[in-house]
Amino acid sequence: MSCPEHLRTQAYLDGELDGIAASEAERHIESCADCRRASADAAELSDAIRRQTARYRAPDALRARTAALLDGETAPRAASFRPRGFWAGALSGAGTMAAAAGIALALLLPPSPETLAQSIADDHTDALMGARLIQVASSSHHVVKPWFAGRVAVSPPTPDFPDQGFVLAGGRIDRVAGTKAAVVVYRHGRHAIDLFVWPDGGSTLPGNATRHGYHTIFWKSGDLDFAAVSDTERRELEKFVTLVRSAPE
Amino acid sequence: MDNRRRQFEAQALPHLDAAYNLARWLSRSPADAEDIVQEAMLRAFRAFDGFRGGDIKPWLLAIVRNCWRNASADTRRRGHAPLPEERDAPLLSDEPSPEAAAAQASEGRRLNEVIALLPNEFREVLVLREMEDLSYREIADVTGVPIGTVMSRLARARALLKEKWDRT
Repeated sequence: MSCPEHLRTQAYLDGELDGIAASEAERHIESCADCRRASADAAELSDAIRRQTARYRAPDALRARTAALLDGETAPRAASFRPRGFWAGALSGAGTMAAAAGIALALLLPPSPETLAQSIADDHTDALMGARLIQVASSSHHVVKPWFAGRVAVSPPTPDFPDQGFVLAGGRIDRVAGTKAAVVVYRHGRHAIDLFVWPDGGSTLPGNATRHGYHTIFWKSGDLDFAAVSDTERRELEKFVTLVRSAPE
Repeated sequence: MDNRRRQFEAQALPHLDAAYNLARWLSRSPADAEDIVQEAMLRAFRAFDGFRGGDIKPWLLAIVRNCWRNASADTRRRGHAPLPEERDAPLLSDEPSPEAAAAQASEGRRLNEVIALLPNEFREVLVLREMEDLSYREIADVTGVPIGTVMSRLARARALLKEKWDRT
């Protein structure tokens, strides 16, 4: 805590540093006992919060009342009411510095199963909400597979199963608990399936989970970790995983 | 249902739990948290035309935080004492096994109490970072302070939390 580099160490642990800044921070932590202790403390605290504290869920009554409120707003008379841009107000005073604050880099310690599960679920929902579900759109593994080369340290399998209804749609790069992962995207009917592939860092993988209606299945194969996530039916996702696991490389 | 409403629901409603969680931790009261979230959703919907894409979660949480500040300013003006803790809403985390639940329950409650007692500016960065997984940039946008301030508050929040947690 007394180390003057403490904030940089923290930024590194929070996955905010990239490239040279990250390797510098990493070298510093190796040589600084204060920062090593701070790193261990931060990891322990973060894990305890994620595992043990209450993340409160909106009560059903609140959901219902919110819908009713919106009904009131969408009534024809109210529909033309537009106060001036609220975002400007919400953001006023927000710093414009350090817009380049980067994205995550590998953490020192293997992430906990809880962190992994949360990270995958968040990545998938974020990708669906935003426009970045697919960075390379192609149904040909001759296009998708080489696209990953040089962008991420793993070469993911990109099998295609059109006959079974799992159609290769493209790929993107994402982060799983701070580690760069290849994400192969499939379409299954109206659902998207994300296949996350990242280097095995010695983490214990979480059990299969369902969060907010998204199913996730984890497995290891060779020196890679895998996770398939989708809001399709769990049985369908299991079928997909079986196909991927039995596909020839 | 009109298109704007459908768009808003598709984008904003998946973050209703996040909105409630933030309001709940900031206000420390289930009843206040519900009022804050309702007000925030209404304001977000009215301002939705001004939202120009990107990630809607920080945008929504910034509105939640503003509504909380307005609500607490009102409370102070009227001289109301804060409401006592009411019964907790159900937790979002997966159901642990009974044994694990028993072992974790007391420690989890302790940690909850310690976080709830942190000063506002430290509690909010901690919740946004550790529970909502926001980046520094997003936390800066939500709380309206520079990234450097986010970093020092986060460091202070963690130090305070560790100190109090070790002591209890």
